[in-house]
Order: sequence, then C-alpha cells, then structure tokens
Amino acid sequence: MSIELAEETQIVSSLKDAMGEAVLEAKIPHPRRIFVHLDMETFKKAVGYLSQKAAFTHISAMTGIDVGKAIEVIYHLNRDGRIELSLKVQTPKDNACLPTITDIIPGAILYEREVHDLLGVAFEGHPDLSPLVLPEGWPSGVHPLRKEWTIEKIQKEISKEGEH
Amino acid sequence: MSYPTVRIPFGPQHPALKEPEYFMFEVDGEYVVDVKPRIGYVHRGVEKAAENRTFVQNLHLIERTCGICSDAHTTCYTQVIEQILGVDVPPRARFIRAIIAELERLHSHSLWIGLAAHEIGFDTLFMYVWRDREIVMDLLERVSGNRVHYAMNTIGGVRRDIPSEASEKIKKGLDVLQERMEYYRKIGTTERTVLKRTSEVGILRPKDALSLCAVGPTLRASGVKHDVRADDPYVAYDEIPFEVITCDGCDVLSRLLVRCDETLESISIIRYALDNIPEGEIRVKVPRSVPEGEAVGRVEAPRGELIHYARTNGTTRPERYMLRCPTLANIPSVCKMLIGGSIADIPIVLAGIDPCFACMDRMAFVDVSKDKQWVWSGEELRRYAIEWHKQE
Repeated sequence: MSIELAEETQIVSSLKDAMGEAVLEAKIPHPRRIFVHLDMETFKKAVGYLSQKAAFTHISAMTGIDVGKAIEVIYHLNRDGRIELSLKVQTPKDNACLPTITDIIPGAILYEREVHDLLGVAFEGHPDLSPLVLPEGWPSGVHPLRKEWTIEKIQKEISKEGEH
Repeated sequence: MSYPTVRIPFGPQHPALKEPEYFMFEVDGEYVVDVKPRIGYVHRGVEKAAENRTFVQNLHLIERTCGICSDAHTTCYTQVIEQILGVDVPPRARFIRAIIAELERLHSHSLWIGLAAHEIGFDTLFMYVWRDREIVMDLLERVSGNRVHYAMNTIGGVRRDIPSEASEKIKKGLDVLQERMEYYRKIGTTERTVLKRTSEVGILRPKDALSLCAVGPTLRASGVKHDVRADDPYVAYDEIPFEVITCDGCDVLSRLLVRCDETLESISIIRYALDNIPEGEIRVKVPRSVPEGEAVGRVEAPRGELIHYARTNGTTRPERYMLRCPTLANIPSVCKMLIGGSIADIPIVLAGIDPCFACMDRMAFVDVSKDKQWVWSGEELRRYAIEWHKQE
C-alpha cells in the first residue's frame, strides 16, 4: 500500500514543506485521492503553488458545505487527469468571503458563481458574480444549501415574495 | 468606419427541447465578438433534495439527474458511497457496470452524431444513425428492462445479472453496429458536406482547453490525452485493455471523429468484458447507514469527467452531496470556441460539446442601430445557417 501511494505522499509532504503550519490537516484515504485542509490566509498561496509547481492545473469542481459557524469551500483540483486533491478552506458564515482563484485557474469561473449562489460566499476579485443557477427575482439572502434554509422554509419565502 | 456591435439574446425556452440554456451574443456583422452564458433554467436542487433523502432513495434521485447518461451518475454515486463504507464490489458486478457504461456511451455518442448531422442540414445521416441507435436501446432494454433509467447499479453491486443468452444477443447487436459505425466514420472523413461545415470550425487550442478545464471528447479532440477510465480507473477498466482516442484538429470535425472512434472502442471493450466476465456474486449486502466520512468519485461519462463528492455523518442521509456534470465544465470552452466564429456556425459549435442537448431554441435579434427586433426559432436559425453556407 505504501509503495502505491508514493506519489500522493510526496505531494502532501512537498505542500507541507512549502506552506508550513498553514496545512491544518492532510490525509490520503484512497489511492489518487488527497484531502488537505488549509487556513484562510494561505489557501490562495497554496492554490498558486499547487498549480504552478505541482501541476494541479485542472479544477474539476467546487463544493461548499455549511458546517455550522462557517462555510467550508472545497476546491477539487486535479493533476494529469489522475490525482484529485480536495483543498478545503473555511470562512466565517456571517461574513463569508474568499479571494477568487480565477486569476490562477480560469476554469473556476462558473464554479465560484455557483458556490456564491447556493451558499452566499463572496469571491473577491471575481469578474462577474451575477446569479448562475438561481432564477431572476430569487429573494436575496436565501442561500438554499445553507442548513438553516430547509425546503419548507425556502418554499414559504418564495411564496411570500410572489405576493408582492 | 466602425459600426456598433449588436447584442443577440439566445434562448432559453422552447417546448421541443430537453434542456434550456441562455447565451447573450455580441456580434459584429456576421461574427461573434463576445458570449455570456446564463444557465440554471433546469436547476432542480438535486443536491438539496439528496440531503433530505436516504442513501437508497438517493440512488433513484441521482439516476434521474440526466436522461441520457443516467448510468454514469449512479456509477459515480455508488463509487463514492462504497468508498466511504469501505465495501469491495464483487468482480462480476464491476464487469457488468463497465458493460452498461459502454452501452450507454454507444447510445449517447450515436445520439450526438445524429444531432450534429441534423445541425449541419444532413438529415439523411441523422435518420440512419438514429435508426442504428435503436439496436443499442434494444440491448439495454433486454438487459435492464428499461431504455433510459436502467437502474442497474446499487450500493454494493448491480441489481441484475447478464445471463449468457443475453450476452450472445449483445454480441450479435455489436456486430451490426460495428459495421455501421465504421461506415459513419468513413462519411465523417470523406463526405464533402460534413467536411465543409465542421473542418476548421469552433477551434479550441490545447492550451485553452487545459486552462479552461475542458473535459471529455471536447478535450481529447484538442489533442489532450485525458480519460478518467485510463487515468483514474474505476469499475473494471483497470482489467480491460483499451485505447484513449485523441485527435489534434481542435475543431468540430475532430470532435466528430473522436466520438466515432470512441464508439468503436466501446464495442471492443464490451466484447472483451463479455468474454472475460468472472463468475460469482453480483452484489454484497451493505448497511443502510453510512459512517462519518467523505469521498470524491470520478467517472468518464459520455460527455467527459463527471465528479461527485459526498460527506456523510453516520446517519442514513448524506450531510452534503455535490455533483458536477461535464457540460458545466465545458461551458467556458464553448464560449471560447464561439468567439471569432460566424453566427451561422453557432448551432454546430454549441452542439459540438454535446451539451446534453439544450440551446437551439429561440433567438431574438436586436439591431440596436435600427431599433428593430425579430425572433428566430432554433429551426429558423438552422435553416439560416444552411442557406448561408450554400452561398459560399
């Protein structure tokens, strides 16, 4: 098993060398799958490092998760179509804001808009954060994938908007 | 003397179409100078719905994300959940999953070849390809009982076996298909109508394809050899020999050729899998609740890399489920392809990424300088495109 994971282990250790204490957690649960948790200040530097020095130039997707007091954003980066590195970063829920990575990886442009729509994370420096998947006239402040917005509550809010 | 550019809203709704999308085009005369996409008209909140359903219910929900590549979605879903559960799927089930996945690719690619032919006004080819596509549809129905949502995958294996008499039927069907697909490939490389409308149209250079994170046949038609089946093998792909098809023309013609060759490759994968399928169980029993954990699953759907992510919390429902379909990944690339092209090439370039067929619906032309507006349906745009190319 350890020989099989040589490449993954090497990626994690070089990232730890470059970023130091900013790497809060790193694990390799499965071959070709890496999960790394970084702090908010250094994550963009880490994205830059990974795409320029470690060939993680492809972004497969972005996930946003409501984890209570914070929104966790996961950048699913990919190297050579093979190794999927999920880079996690948390931003406080009441002021959810992260710097954009579209200047490093242009392919992230729609994924950031999607996370902005569904979880209300503002991406500083993104060229256009207009709604992507939510309809026009959607009540502002309703971010459907935040846990406090249950399906019933969203339905109630939308019907309220319709009355006006 | 410079003229002002004209903005053309394109989309999003038409009853004849399966999926709506909207593009705002900025044109200078015949040529597109800018494109702004707007998606989400069929955003049904599958991710939110998944959080409120059990893992077994989600199997049915996730399958219904797409009406063409339904099996790719459940393959990815089961991959994710099985990874968190730490379950090993029996070898026979892994082969059956690969067979269904390739049958699905066959029907999806033939569907696309037909639609692309229709877009360039070659309806005879469209009719022939779709006639032959029925062979695959019948085979899928024979194996799974369904034409669209096969419901073959389940967490821990597959729900139905492929008995030897079905296997013989599949092989017979594949013999006919192989002959037909080779013929269509020949048409793609020799027929003048096809060459004229697709060659050097919708260019996407490898550098742009990589930086805009294109996936699937769109990426491979720009000469980049990435295929999840080979790079990050799942189900039985690490035990089946196959070639990753690429083409370096970077245009719509290359996308056509990549898909033609991939259908032939799929046929050989299915043949090999049927001949080498191991005996044994087809599923293992799994618990209904999934322990705390997270996993990423990747599958090469007919349109490209499909990625799912799940986080579980020890209950029978997921904490968060994320899915990203290949069409979304290809939208920035298709915008790049359209810029610099002519209005007449919009239909075929958009169709070129195989966008789970949306888009060709209603087009309103607003000529700012003349304060005039007229509306075109997708059908009228198609006719306009054909007429425009006739003049050349």
